[in-house]
Amino acid sequence: MLRVTGLHAKIDEQEILRGVDLEVGAGEVHAVMGPNGSGKSTLAQVLAGREEYEVTAGSLELMGQDLQEMAPEERAHAGLFLAFQYPVEIPGVGNSYFLKAALNAIRKARGEQELDAMDFLKLLRERAKLVEIDEALLRRPVNEGFSGGEKKRNEILQMAVLEPRLAVLDETDSGLDIDALKAVAAGVNALRREDRAFVVITHYQRLLNYIVPDHVHVLVDGRIVRSGGPELALELEAKGYAGLNGKTAQA
Amino acid sequence: MTVEATKSTTSTPYLDLFARRGERAGEAERVQTLRREAIERFEATGFPGRGNEDWRQTNVGPLVRAAPALASPRALEAVELQPYLYPGCDRLVFVNGRYDEALSSPPAQGTAAAIAGLPAAGRAAEVVAEHLGTAVDGRPSCSADAGVHPFAALNTALFEDGAVVEIPAGVVLERPLHVLWLSAPGAGDAAAETVEVSFPRLLMLAGENSQASIIETFAAVGAGAGRYFVCPAAEIVCEAGAVLHHTRLQADALSAFHLAFQHARVGRSAAFDSSSLAFGGGLVRNDTVALLDGEGADCTLDGLYVAAGSQFMDNHMRVEHRQPNGTSHQLYKGVLDDRARSVFNGRIYVHRAAQKTDAKQTNRNLLLSKSALANSNPQLEIFADDVRCTHGSTIGRLDEEALFYLRSRGIDRDAAYRMLVYAFARELVEKASFEPLRQDLEGRLFASLNGSSGNGRVE
Repeated sequence: MLRVTGLHAKIDEQEILRGVDLEVGAGEVHAVMGPNGSGKSTLAQVLAGREEYEVTAGSLELMGQDLQEMAPEERAHAGLFLAFQYPVEIPGVGNSYFLKAALNAIRKARGEQELDAMDFLKLLRERAKLVEIDEALLRRPVNEGFSGGEKKRNEILQMAVLEPRLAVLDETDSGLDIDALKAVAAGVNALRREDRAFVVITHYQRLLNYIVPDHVHVLVDGRIVRSGGPELALELEAKGYAGLNGKTAQA
Repeated sequence: MTVEATKSTTSTPYLDLFARRGERAGEAERVQTLRREAIERFEATGFPGRGNEDWRQTNVGPLVRAAPALASPRALEAVELQPYLYPGCDRLVFVNGRYDEALSSPPAQGTAAAIAGLPAAGRAAEVVAEHLGTAVDGRPSCSADAGVHPFAALNTALFEDGAVVEIPAGVVLERPLHVLWLSAPGAGDAAAETVEVSFPRLLMLAGENSQASIIETFAAVGAGAGRYFVCPAAEIVCEAGAVLHHTRLQADALSAFHLAFQHARVGRSAAFDSSSLAFGGGLVRNDTVALLDGEGADCTLDGLYVAAGSQFMDNHMRVEHRQPNGTSHQLYKGVLDDRARSVFNGRIYVHRAAQKTDAKQTNRNLLLSKSALANSNPQLEIFADDVRCTHGSTIGRLDEEALFYLRSRGIDRDAAYRMLVYAFARELVEKASFEPLRQDLEGRLFASLNGSSGNGRVE
């Protein structure tokens, strides 16, 4: 599904990723953990095609396609989805209007028929229930005035509507109370499928109680320094990131 | 003095237009006097130069250098009008400054007196006698420091036909009244040094407790690409308790000079809500004066200007609170691409008597290219001590974070770009409550954004 090989990336002349290797198979859930500043969010942004980041070496492949050759929207068309750590407020653009435009852009790019207003509304209502999001939020401008939890639920709603093949969740758990965390996790779990993979980026182990990963990777200083099963997350929770790769870091 | 010499040289062609025009048969004595006085004022002031503080940022040089010719009468085919019409409206159509009776369908008698041309007799003649020129030319109702507006004076001296609209006291106009000011410029060519001139003139009197909606459209028809100069003046009076909605759509050709003056006097507990939407014209300036002249008067002045290429759009606002408990709200937004430039100059003037005034003014500008330029100059002059007055202005660029967010969801760059620009401007087109107008404005906004992609636009 996703193959990242020897990935180096920098922003403003500062190298953040220094050789990341990551392979994610269809149907798998991978957790990427690491201390602040280790490059977790950079990895997410580079996958999504943020232009401020420059890939200096290595390769990124999604289902055999070279992501580096693709614009952010083309990556979305190919099935990539990034749940933002800080979802952007867009005054003046209605949430459901935006989602319909996004879904139809993706369908059009794939040669599928675009959904009309009625069919879209039906789909949207159904997915809104799935992620337990208040329907009133669908009528408001994208993320504007949403609480932190509402923004994160809105990201999961977008994922549920756009049905990506690979979803990258960038610290979707940060700032969430336990109820919101459970709702977000339930939404993700409901979307787990044989042909869909997840990369869950998180600082804390807590989310992984609800979204149980198949693999856990530890990113420190721009490299994956350890990989293991779900038990690795528990170990990190207990011992912290200190000692990994010889660098001091806090949990 | 050298300055004097320059003045008379540049204004001479317009003085000649006036001299050649002569007296018009049947014109009321008072109107003739107004015209003579106006041309004398114009002669005295001449065209505003950069030395004039109010015109410092507006370069009318290209207009001044062109030789003016009165736009000649032209009969239009109904089909040429079609793109500008809305269903369900009464309509007055002017072409090259002249009333076109065949294309017009004035409101039914009894609900409103709407008479085009210069009436010599009847109620409209009385309205003209009582109100024409009282606002535009300044003396009785403008503050002394408002000065003479040279283009308003030109309009008074030279306008051909005018729209005189009166909503009698207590009458609620059921249908919007649509006044179309169309220019049909000649073939022209880039090298031509001439400019065709027309002077749209509106006198709108909303009687006590009347209600009406009026839409003005300024646009070009026909295939002519020649330069033209539209010099409109509008006088609007809202008597006590009147509610007047006013929309001003400016969709002139890029070859147009559009220099407009409008003046509204808002009486006790009256509400005047005006929206200005400007998409066209090469050199555009709108001077708007609103006098809140009765206790509790309420005035909303909103505007949107969308400019690209080398368009220049200037809005000069002056809101005067003269009586207590008045409310004025202004929201002007600009979208500027390429080398377009804009000026927003907003002055709120609160007289000593105007206690409990609530005045708000906001100007926001979105720059889509590195070469676009917006100037914003809010000014407050407050002589009362118990008021709330706020003003704010912003000049910003498109939010790159938002652009990336939309793209990451599969929306391509151009569409995301347009979505964001549209989002910035939409509140000003969506406030139109008359559905056909709202749809038209949305369409025009979309169309004006179609050329903008932000790609390769930085010069």
